[in-house]
Amino acid sequence: MNGTKEKQRRVCSRLRLTNDDLWGYVFIAAAMVIFCMFTLYPVISAIYTSFLKYKPFGSQYIGLKNYADTLKFSKFNLFYKAAYNTLLYTVVVVPLSLLLSFAIAVMILPFQKKVQSVFKAMYYLPGIASGVALSVVWLWLYDSSPDGIFNRLLGFFGVPAQNWLSSTKTSMLSLMIMALLSSHGVRVITYIAALLGIDNSYFEAAELDGATFFQKVHFIVWPLVKPTTLFLLITGVIGSFQVFMNAYIMTGGGPDNSTTMIGLLIYRNAFERGEYGLACAQAILLTIAIALMSLFQFKAMGVDVEY
Amino acid sequence: MKKIISMLLVCVMVLGLFAMGASAESKDTIVVMAPPVTGGYLEKLETWKADFEAEHPNLTIEIIGTSWDEHNGKLSTMAQAGEAPDIAEISSGALGTFVEMGVAIDIAKYMDADRLADYDEGALKYMSLEGTTYGLPLYLTIQSIGANKTMMEELGIDVKKIQQEGWTYEEFVDVIKKGTTDKCYGFVFANAGVTASDMLYMFGAGAGLSNTFTPELKYAFTSENMLTLLNSVEEMTKSGYMPNFGVEAGQRMVMCQTGNAMIFGKAMPLFENNFRKNNAALEANDGTAVENSMKMDYAFLPVPTMDGCQESCYGTVDGLVALRNNKTTDEHLKNVLLFMDYICSGDRIASCMNELYLEPVCQTGRDALVLPEGRDADNLATAGRCIAMVQAPPEGVTAEMSATAKKLMDEQIIPKFQALLAGEITAQDMYDHIVEAAHDAFGAENCVSGKI
Repeated sequence: MNGTKEKQRRVCSRLRLTNDDLWGYVFIAAAMVIFCMFTLYPVISAIYTSFLKYKPFGSQYIGLKNYADTLKFSKFNLFYKAAYNTLLYTVVVVPLSLLLSFAIAVMILPFQKKVQSVFKAMYYLPGIASGVALSVVWLWLYDSSPDGIFNRLLGFFGVPAQNWLSSTKTSMLSLMIMALLSSHGVRVITYIAALLGIDNSYFEAAELDGATFFQKVHFIVWPLVKPTTLFLLITGVIGSFQVFMNAYIMTGGGPDNSTTMIGLLIYRNAFERGEYGLACAQAILLTIAIALMSLFQFKAMGVDVEY
Repeated sequence: MKKIISMLLVCVMVLGLFAMGASAESKDTIVVMAPPVTGGYLEKLETWKADFEAEHPNLTIEIIGTSWDEHNGKLSTMAQAGEAPDIAEISSGALGTFVEMGVAIDIAKYMDADRLADYDEGALKYMSLEGTTYGLPLYLTIQSIGANKTMMEELGIDVKKIQQEGWTYEEFVDVIKKGTTDKCYGFVFANAGVTASDMLYMFGAGAGLSNTFTPELKYAFTSENMLTLLNSVEEMTKSGYMPNFGVEAGQRMVMCQTGNAMIFGKAMPLFENNFRKNNAALEANDGTAVENSMKMDYAFLPVPTMDGCQESCYGTVDGLVALRNNKTTDEHLKNVLLFMDYICSGDRIASCMNELYLEPVCQTGRDALVLPEGRDADNLATAGRCIAMVQAPPEGVTAEMSATAKKLMDEQIIPKFQALLAGEITAQDMYDHIVEAAHDAFGAENCVSGKI
C-alpha cells in the first residue's frame, strides 16, 4: 500500500511543474507564438488553400485539381519550364558561388586582422544594400545599347554589343553573372570563421613534408571546412530555388520565358492572376522539392561530417 | 520583481501582435486606394475628400495613396484577403481578375440610373463584363506614336497630312527610312521586358486587331491579321531603321529629344507638355532640360494601317471599381458609389483630364472642361480623331474568357514577341505558336481562322 502511494507521489512530482519550468515556458511563449503565427499557420493555410479554388468570399473545394493542373504535361505549361530554369540557375550559381567565396576567404586569410576586416566589410556591403537598388545598378550595367557599360567593355576586345537581358541567349547568363558577382558577404565571413578554426599544427606538419599551397588547400583546408561547405550549400540551394527578385526586376521572366523561375511563376499566379490555390499548390511542390534536395545533400555529403 | 517585469514585457510583445487599430466610429468610412493617376491626383483627392466630407457629415473618406509600381500587387493582396478598399483604381484589362475573385460589385444596383447615364456608353463597356457594370471610367487613354515634328518637317514630310488622314505601313517605313542616319534611328520603341506588349497592342490596332475577341466572341489573335502584324514587326526589327537592342521605357522619349530617334512609341498626347517644358528649360538654360536635348516640336501621330485594314487606335480605359470586403453592406455601398461618382465626374475629372491632355468620358466632365491655352491644335485634333477610332470591347465576353486570354498573352504571346524582337524566332514561328496555344486554351472552333 505504502509502495503504491510512493509510486503515485513520484509520478505526480514528475508531472508537476516547478516554478522555473513555468517561467521557462513563459519565456519561449513569445517565440512560439511568433513561429506559429508567421510560419506554422501560413504553411498549414497554404496546404489547405492548395485544395481550393480560392475566392475571398466562398472558396470551393476542388481536391487535387491545382496539383494536376500544375503537373499537367503540356508544352504550354510554364511550371516545367520554370522548374528547369530554376534548376539550371541553381546548378550553376550555387557551386560557383561557393568556390568563389572559398577562394576569396583563402586569399583574405593571410592578411592582418584590420585588412581582413576591410575586405570582409567590402564583400558584405552589397548584402545590406537594397536588392532593388542593386538591380537598378545592374540594369544600367546591362544596358543593351552600344553605350552600355558591359557592351563598351566588350567593345575593347572587339566583341560586338550584346542584347544582355533581351536575348534568350544571354538573359539567364546575365542573371547568373549578377548573382555570382554580388552576394558573397555572408559566405566569405562564414568561410573565414571556419578557416580560423583550423589548428595551425596541420599546416606546420604539411610544411615539414614540403606540401605546396594547393596541396594544403586540397588536403587540409577543404576537408576541414566541409561542414561549413555543407551548410552553405544547403542554404544556398534553398535560397536559389526561391530566387525571385532578380528575375522579377531584371527581365520579368523573359524573353521567351527564358528566365521565368518558380518563385516568379508563383508570384504571378497569386498576385497578378488571382489564382491563389494554384500558387499554393506550386509553392507546396517547391517546398517538397527543396526538402528532397536538402535530404539528398545531407545523405551525399553529410556522411563524414561531424557537428 | 525582475520576473514580473519580464513577464509584462513578454505579454506586451505577444499582445502587440494581435493589436488592432480598430476604433468604434459612428461615421461610415469609405476607403479609396489610388495611384497618382495624374501628377497631382493624390493631392486633389485630399481636397475632394474635404469638400465631400463637408457636404456629407455622416461620411468619412480614407485615402490610401500608392505608387504605380506597388498598386496592382497591393490591391490584389488586399482583395484576396477579403480586405479590399471600397474603391480602387484599375485598368479595364484587370477587371476580369476581380470579377473572377468575386469581389467586384455590380454598381448599377447602388447608383442612380441618371447618374450612370452621365458616363459614355463606350467607356462604360470597358468597365463591364457579361452585361454587368463594375466601375466608373476615369479616362480613355490612347496609345500611339509621337515624333520630332521639327525634324520630320525639315525632311519634307507632311506631318499635318499624316495627322489628319493617317498613313499606311508602307508610308511609315518610307518615313522612318528617311529619318535614319548614322546618329539617328527613324523609329524607336520601348521594347525591353514587359513593355514589348505595348507594341503588339498598338500596331495591332492598325492591323485590325483592336480587341482580343471579335463581335462573334472568337479569339482574334489567331487570325491572319496577326501574321501580317508579326511580319511587319519582323521587317521593322531587321530593317536597321530601329534599334536592334532592348530599349527601356524611360529611354524612348529621351532618344527623340536628344536627336537619336525621329519617331518613338509608345506615345500619348500629354507628351506635348514634356516637350514644351523641355524647350522652355533649354531657353532658360537653367539646367533642368534633358541632357544633350535639342529644341523641337512634338507631333502626336496615328499608328499606320496594315494590309488595307481600317484605321484604328489602341485605347484602354482606367477607372474606379467598387470592391467587396469584410465590412460591406448595402447601405455602405450606396455611400461608396456616391463618392465614386463624385470624383469621376464634373470639374474634378475635368481638371485631371487637362493634366493628361485627354477628353473626359462623362458629360458633366466635358461641360466643366476648360482647355488651357497654348495646346497644339493639330495634336489636339489628332488625339480627338484617335479617341473616336478606339473600338470598345465586344459585349458578352465572360470573366473566364478574359482571364484565359490574359494568361495566354502573359505566358505565351508576350514572351514569344520578345524573342521575335530579339530576332531569335521568325514571325511565322511565333504565329504558329500562338495558334497552337490558343487552340489548346479556347478550342479551335472558338478562334478566328483567316482574315478578320
